[in-house]
Amino acid sequence: MRWIYLLLLIWVVPGFGAGTEPPIRFGLTAVVLTENIRFLDKWDEYLEKKIGRKVEFVLRRSYRDVMDLLDSGAIEFAWICGYPYVQTRKPESLQLLTVPIYRGEPRYYSYIIVHHDSDNRQFSDLEDKVFAFSDPDSNSGFLYPLLLLVQNDNKPATFFRNTFFTFNHAQTVQAVSERVADGGAVDSYIWESLAASKPEMTGKTRIINKSPSYGFPPIVSRLGVDANLVKLMKNTLEQMHQDDAGKALLAMLKLDGFGDFADSLFNEIRASANTIQRITPKALNVSD
Amino acid sequence: MPIFNPRSWPLAIKLQLTTTIVVAMVGFMIGAVMVVQDWGRFHDELGDKALLLSEFVAIQAPTEMRRKNYWALYLSLKNVAVRRAGLKMGHEVVSAMILDAEGIVQAHLQPANNPLGLVYSPSGLVELDLYKQAMRARDPVLLSSGGFSKTGFLEGVVPLFSDEKYLGVVRVRLSTAQLYDEANNSAITVLLITFCFVIIGSAIGTLASRRMVRPLTAVTHGLEAVGRGEMTDFAPVPVKDRDEIGRLSITFNKIMSELAEKKKLEEEIAMSEKLVALGRITAGVAHEVNNPLAGLLNCIDTLQKHPHDQKLIDRYLPVIDQGLYRIKDIVQNLLVGLRTDESDEQVSIKYIDNLKDLIDAEIGERNITVVWDNRADKTLGVPNKLEQIVYNLLKNALEVLPDDGTIVFNMYQNQGYVIIEVCDTGPGIPPSIRSQLFDPFFTTKPNGTGLGLWVVYRLVQGMQGVIEIESEEGQGSMFQVAIPIINQKAA
Repeated sequence: MRWIYLLLLIWVVPGFGAGTEPPIRFGLTAVVLTENIRFLDKWDEYLEKKIGRKVEFVLRRSYRDVMDLLDSGAIEFAWICGYPYVQTRKPESLQLLTVPIYRGEPRYYSYIIVHHDSDNRQFSDLEDKVFAFSDPDSNSGFLYPLLLLVQNDNKPATFFRNTFFTFNHAQTVQAVSERVADGGAVDSYIWESLAASKPEMTGKTRIINKSPSYGFPPIVSRLGVDANLVKLMKNTLEQMHQDDAGKALLAMLKLDGFGDFADSLFNEIRASANTIQRITPKALNVSD
Repeated sequence: MPIFNPRSWPLAIKLQLTTTIVVAMVGFMIGAVMVVQDWGRFHDELGDKALLLSEFVAIQAPTEMRRKNYWALYLSLKNVAVRRAGLKMGHEVVSAMILDAEGIVQAHLQPANNPLGLVYSPSGLVELDLYKQAMRARDPVLLSSGGFSKTGFLEGVVPLFSDEKYLGVVRVRLSTAQLYDEANNSAITVLLITFCFVIIGSAIGTLASRRMVRPLTAVTHGLEAVGRGEMTDFAPVPVKDRDEIGRLSITFNKIMSELAEKKKLEEEIAMSEKLVALGRITAGVAHEVNNPLAGLLNCIDTLQKHPHDQKLIDRYLPVIDQGLYRIKDIVQNLLVGLRTDESDEQVSIKYIDNLKDLIDAEIGERNITVVWDNRADKTLGVPNKLEQIVYNLLKNALEVLPDDGTIVFNMYQNQGYVIIEVCDTGPGIPPSIRSQLFDPFFTTKPNGTGLGLWVVYRLVQGMQGVIEIESEEGQGSMFQVAIPIINQKAA
């Protein structure tokens, strides 16, 4: 029996050595970010140094997965879209932490894109065509095109011949550029980033519709997380633009910084969701 | 042209060529079999790969189709179409699609031409046939088209089921272009290897055939030397093996040494024959000179005893004179016949005609007709000894001819030869003595020296000419002499 105790000891001791505090877990989806593991490694390193605790990024496929993590308490912070943020939860499980500032504003747009060679000039031309959505919980990639449909008295279920979700704005651009879909809805922030990194891909697409501006996908914290930690994280993110390492990371994210903004920033999204909900309540119930 | 006639080529080259051709043919046949086998193997591998890729897509396809997750279906096709760099036997997915039970496109690798959600429309009869086969398939099946070409392909077709309900089909099409290139490359490799084998094989063939043929070549050269009559400097063919060629060499060496011995013996015999001839001449001379000498000595002895007997002087002096002249004749004839110095002094042919007067003088009162016909070119030069030949032949005819005889003399040119014919109507030459006719001191005449025809024979020989006799007993004889013309014109 003695050797079993010995083994147990060996197994347990490193756990103690790693520190008593568990890592801070930060949920992300590929919908907001183009996957870049090396960037995330640098970012968690930076946050660890500032906060003094291990930071772990948890990547999930969809916003819904990230929201589930938040609900179940598996993560403390998350970068989500404005639409899941404005959805009503009972009881409320999260609060606004900070909002990224993109090109001077905490705002972005939804682009409706078609293939460069396509004859489609406006959104209504896409009737009976194939349309690519990004994520059922994405404002720019789903809510905005739905809003366009309901505003024009079109039925979301029958307007397009086929639709699909890519769960990734970049792949929505790809789907349109490779003509799998005739049209698609993407986040302007992602499309612009791709226009810089993969111009050959965005070059094959054309923007036929640009939405009004919406509140940029925010960073939220789970209710119940230690208030000091929340404050520390908020300050750390909002002060990133003040040091070189932070600036370098922001440059890679193509963001100006993070800022403290009121919840009212997301009122347009709230209004969109309400409009759609009122006219065609079933349109928003997309099951993966 | 002997070069273009293989029958005249040396055995060594023929053997070498045969070896090379055999090696090349065997090499190419093995190569062809290898290429065909390679092609078959590559083809099977590619077919397996096409099916495997279809099966791979088919794993997730039913679930994603139910969820209408067209993007995931498209990405699964994209994934199998990615060519992994650095793989030796890479594959090229030329086309891939997922169709539902009604043939509606669920995903296609070329979405621009095959839009999602519309019925797949095959282009052309071949495509239509393949489409029908694919839609009929209820088990994984491999379709192919285009055969061995750059545009050929293999298509793995896997039907999709969910709870035993037919959902549709996955089709993944691989190009055989790579296969075609591989087969071509391996064909080139095989060709190169075969070429190397041919070079090595023909080199070995050359060495072997040289080695085998060398004794034969030596035998051939030896036989050619025998043909030319050269046998003395013959080097024996070396014998290495005891095979047929070895035995042939041994036999040849034996024959050659025997031939050489025979030649030596013949030379010895010729030498002894010369000695015999010399002995005969010497004996003849001794006999012919000794006979008159005895009479002469007797006469001189008698005259010495009776120096003033005029009667004896008158009677013996002519005898002594006649005897001495006879000895002089013999010696002169011998000198002419045995003279070895070949003077090539030329005389005009017209001097021959002067001999007619001489013969006429010799005939004197006898009733003998001479028919003289000299048709030869009068400006032609002939060796001056020809005069002697003609004179001797005419004199010989004159001596055997009875009264009322005829002598015919003909002279003409024929193909670089001067022909002289002397015919007589004499008693002819009996066959028994024809072989001795030209021997020295052989004569049938009571006062003949037996040197006249011998001298003719010797002179004709000296001029590289030919002498022939035609004779019939009681009818006459004809001597025909042919002398090669050396100079067209007399000096």
